[in-house]
Amino acid sequence: MLETTVPTIADGEERLTETFAALASATRRAILGRLAAGEATVNELAEPFELTLPAISKHLKVLERAGLITRGHRAQYRPCTLDPRPLAELSTWAEQYRSIWESRFNQMDDYLSTLTKGERGD
Amino acid sequence: MLERVFDAPIELVWQMWTDPARFKAWYGPAGATVPVAELDVRVGGHRLVCMAMGPHEMWFAGEHLEVTEPARLVYTELMADEHGNPVSPESLGMPAGTHGSTEVTVMLEEVDGGTRVRLTHAGVAAESGAARGWSGAFDKLAEELQTAARA
Repeated sequence: MLETTVPTIADGEERLTETFAALASATRRAILGRLAAGEATVNELAEPFELTLPAISKHLKVLERAGLITRGHRAQYRPCTLDPRPLAELSTWAEQYRSIWESRFNQMDDYLSTLTKGERGD
Repeated sequence: MLERVFDAPIELVWQMWTDPARFKAWYGPAGATVPVAELDVRVGGHRLVCMAMGPHEMWFAGEHLEVTEPARLVYTELMADEHGNPVSPESLGMPAGTHGSTEVTVMLEEVDGGTRVRLTHAGVAAESGAARGWSGAFDKLAEELQTAARA
């Protein structure tokens, strides 16, 4: 059977934590806002802030690691592009629904046990 | 996305969402029962579910959007009255920004050891309890960014 990579619950939790951390910076949120309007180079992104290029690059690394932006490779510069998927994940998953479904799945598990035990004659 | 493997055949796990008798046995979260479950399992078919915790009842209406037995089921779940008419969350005393309509996607897959269930539940409450401060702002940001990215 072919082994495929599947997102585990732990992976999802870690990704959410990374996304929160990445967004917990006004500068990074502003960078994302700018990228929502289209891709940009590091110089273009640094323009509105009184920050050095290395400082901006640090922010970009955090965003890249959280999967919020991707960096292209184009000759002399690497344009940054927004990836909206991690943010979409954040906005559609709230802790309260997770616990409801966990609870339901526990009940389904118990219920399934009673059904399948009967069939196996345990 | 929520994911779990159940020690049961895929056909039986599919029934958990599509056979009302089975559905009632687990869909109420801890302490809640499901006294009513009308499930018309076909594309466009309606759903009417009542969850009860003591004297308190909550009704949910909805529709099946995708039905691909036994692998994939997608349905909407909206807060409703006992006749299946949608009601606004605010009228039930829910905080402003609570999503009235949500969409559940269930994906089943046979694996070693039984059936893997993957589930997403989209359009959930943006403001409630501990999530209030974060989720509201992120929802708006995410929506803005998604809209802009698609343009």
